[in-house]
Amino acid sequence: MDFSGLQVVLWLVAGLVSFYFSIGNARVWTSIAVGFFLILFGELLPQAMPFLPGTSIPQVEAMGHIISTIAILVMSHGFQEYYVFSRTLELEGDKRQVYLVTLAVIFASQIFIFINPAPNAETLRTIRIVGNTNWVFLSLINIDLIRKIYLNVKDSPIGKGFLAFIAVFVCIFLWKGSELYIQVYRLDLPAVMQAYPVRYQISQITHLVGNLLASLSVGGTFLYLAKLLR
Amino acid sequence: MVLLPKGNPVKENANPGKINLPGALEKLQAGKFSGYLRFDFPAATGVIIFEQGRLISSLLEDGRERLIAYDAIAAIFEQSLEGRGRLDVYRLSPELALSVHVLLHGDLLYKGQELKLIDIKLLLARLKELAITGCLRIYTGDRVALIFYREGTPLGFFHDGSTAIETTADTSMSVARLPGAKIDVLTTKGVGEGMLADLLSSADLSALWKRIQDARRPEPEPVAAAVPPVAAPPVVDPAAREAERREVLLEAWRQIAMRHLGKIGGSLVEKEFEKNLGSVIDDASLAVFFERLGKGARLVAGHGKVNGMLEEMEHLAQDKL
Repeated sequence: MDFSGLQVVLWLVAGLVSFYFSIGNARVWTSIAVGFFLILFGELLPQAMPFLPGTSIPQVEAMGHIISTIAILVMSHGFQEYYVFSRTLELEGDKRQVYLVTLAVIFASQIFIFINPAPNAETLRTIRIVGNTNWVFLSLINIDLIRKIYLNVKDSPIGKGFLAFIAVFVCIFLWKGSELYIQVYRLDLPAVMQAYPVRYQISQITHLVGNLLASLSVGGTFLYLAKLLR
Repeated sequence: MVLLPKGNPVKENANPGKINLPGALEKLQAGKFSGYLRFDFPAATGVIIFEQGRLISSLLEDGRERLIAYDAIAAIFEQSLEGRGRLDVYRLSPELALSVHVLLHGDLLYKGQELKLIDIKLLLARLKELAITGCLRIYTGDRVALIFYREGTPLGFFHDGSTAIETTADTSMSVARLPGAKIDVLTTKGVGEGMLADLLSSADLSALWKRIQDARRPEPEPVAAAVPPVAAPPVVDPAAREAERREVLLEAWRQIAMRHLGKIGGSLVEKEFEKNLGSVIDDASLAVFFERLGKGARLVAGHGKVNGMLEEMEHLAQDKL
C-alpha cells in the first residue's frame, strides 16, 4: 500500500503549522519551520510525485538528497536555539538570516553539483548515505536536546509539545536508521537480500512504518502545538 | 579600604539596595560563578567571593573594624538596604578567586610603602630568601595590580581586566611606574580548593535579609484608646521604601507569570525586570519591559495567553505605581 500522498499531506500540515508559529515570533520557530518544509520539498515531493518534471535528472536527484540533509541541519539549529533560550532566556538573531543563510547554502550546493560531473548511481547512493547518517545522529542528539528543553519548560503551556517532538525524532530515527542500515550492509543487493531475507524484511518494514509514523507524528505534533498555543 | 583589581566586569555600578541580594547570590551559586562582588558604601567596603558557585568568603572593612563570614554578610545586607551603596561584580578564574580569598585574609607585612623610596630588587630578593607565600600589591589611587608569590617564587600577575593569573608583567608593571605608586606586601597561608565551606549552603540568607528588612521598618503606631495623639508621621527611609515597593511588584509579577507560563515565566520576569527596570521604573522602561517579556513568553505560550498575562501585569503596575 502506498502512503506517499498521505505523507506529503501530513508533512505539508507540519510545515504550515510550524510557519504559523514563526509569524511574529523569534527565529527559533523559523529554523524549525524551514527544516520541516525542506523535508517536504527535498525528499517527499519527488518520492510521492515522481512524474514531476526533472526528477529523473541525476543532478536534481542529488539536490533532493542534499536539501534533505540541509533540512535536518536547519531543524537541529532551531532546537539548539530553543535550548539556549530555555537555559539563558536570551533571544537573539534575525529570522531573515535563517532564510538567507539556508538559501545561500542551497545555492552553494547547487553550484557544487553543477560544476561537477553528473552524479552516477554510486555517487547518488553515497550522497544519500551521508544524508541518512546526518539524520540518524542528529535525531539522537535532538532527542537528548529536546528532553533537556522539556525539563526546562515542562510546566509551561508548550511543555508537553516537546514530549511529542521526542516521539517525532524517535520515528525519524527508525525511518532513516533502517534505511542507513540497508545501505551500509548492502541488504538491497539481490545476493545479500537472499542471504539475509529476515533482516532485509525487518529493515524495509521499519523504514516504511518509520516514514509513515514520522509524517503522522510530525503532523500530529504541530496540530497539538497549535492547540496548546492557541 | 579593600584594594582589589577589577576582573572581567559582569555588572558595574548597581545599587545593591534595589536588588534582592539573597536571590542574586543564589543565582550566582546556581550558575557556578567564580569571582567577587564588591560593595562600596560611604564608610565601608564589602567583598563577597565565589569559587565555582560556592560562597567561600565575605569581608566588610570600615576602617575601625573588620567583619568576616556571616557578620560581614549581615552588615553588607544592612548597609545595602540603606540605599547608598554601589555594587560591582567581577568574574575571575576559580584559582584566582581562591587566591583573592586567601589574600583578603592574609597578614600585612609592609603597608603603603612608596615605591620610589624602596629598593624593589632588594625586596624581591628578601621575599625569595624568606620563601614568602603571598603577594605584592602595587597601587595608585585608581589602579591596582597583584603579583602572587608561592614560597618566594613568582606565580603570576593579576591586574584590572584579568580573569586569571597572567604570566606577563606589562600591565602590572605599568602601575608601578605611575607617580605616587605604593606597595603592600601580604603574606598568606595557602588554602586548598575544596577546603572552604560554602557559606550559602549553611545559612538561610533569605531569612537574614528579611529580618534586616523587617528591623528597618518603623514600628506601627500603638492603637490609642480614645483620642489619637497628634504625632509626626513616621520617618521612612525613601530608598528602603522604594526597594521594598520594587520587590513587592516584582514578586507579584513573578506570581502572575508563573501562573500563566510556569517556572520559566517567573524567570523571564526576573530577567527582564533586572535588565530593563533595574534603575528606573517609568513609562518608557515599562514599555520595553513588557515588549521584551511578551517576545520571550510567546516562545512558550500562545498569543492569547501571553496577552492575558501582560494585561494582568499592566493592571497591577497601574495599581502599584
